[in-house]
Amino acid sequence: MTLTQILKMLVACILVITFILVTASAYRQHRTISALAKLTDATSSIVTNLAVDELAHVDETGDKYSHVIDPDRLENLTFKREVGGENFEFQISLCYQGSENRTFGPALPENRTSCSLVVACSLWLNDRFLPAKFGVIAWYA
Amino acid sequence: MKQDGVADILAMAFMSVLLILGAVLMHAYSLRPLRAATDRQLELKCEHIYKALETAWVEPYTVSFLRAAAENLVLEHPTVPGPYLRSAMENALGYLSPPDYEISATLTHDGGTLIFNENIGPPSKQFVRSGAVTITGAGGENVVVQVVVRLFSFS
Repeated sequence: MTLTQILKMLVACILVITFILVTASAYRQHRTISALAKLTDATSSIVTNLAVDELAHVDETGDKYSHVIDPDRLENLTFKREVGGENFEFQISLCYQGSENRTFGPALPENRTSCSLVVACSLWLNDRFLPAKFGVIAWYA
Repeated sequence: MKQDGVADILAMAFMSVLLILGAVLMHAYSLRPLRAATDRQLELKCEHIYKALETAWVEPYTVSFLRAAAENLVLEHPTVPGPYLRSAMENALGYLSPPDYEISATLTHDGGTLIFNENIGPPSKQFVRSGAVTITGAGGENVVVQVVVRLFSFS
């Protein structure tokens, strides 16, 4: 075997190994990205469900106002949800113009991947509808 | 023998180029689901901004931002005076806007247009939510005002 043949063989081996490494790396990245996209969609789903249904203000006649958050309804809220067969925990933040940001629910565990989504909403406070911001930080339970 | 050597080197160079292109494509393609999920979140934000403007009141009045703006466009004597509404609306849009984004609201009726936050630079992307507000006109008839809320991204 000449030196040239050895070099060619070496380069071919390096190419094959690099191909395997690149494919494995792309697969790992794809799985991470898919998990992140799932977490992002789950956060959107939790926010929508809370704003439209679970935290929506209900008046004396029983009419429900979707996208209007009633802070009194936060008292009986559970901060765990199952979305798409996966369990998620979340923390809620609520603030209106001129107020401090208030958080509800468990704190985000350390070193845990999370997704944060803050949306505009109305807040039913002191018999008035105020423009406010409603945020959810969700993570895999 | 010399030609065989050149052919081998060319084949290896071609395989290397293919490998690099494949790696770039594989990594770029895998980011697509995350970008799509982020765009869906921004569409959701736009929807929530529209709903917030539809339901939240212009302090100290008891009329929503969009209704007050529609009244300003259609009625001679609206509940909220024009200059006060503009200031309150632009203040609310600034508050509700996510960081690094801008919101504009446009109301149109019968050739008349009312735009809030119109001096916005060219965005890289925009998300639109349109709807309508129905108010009772001066003659007691129902008047439909078209509303378009735009969320602009500059990143």
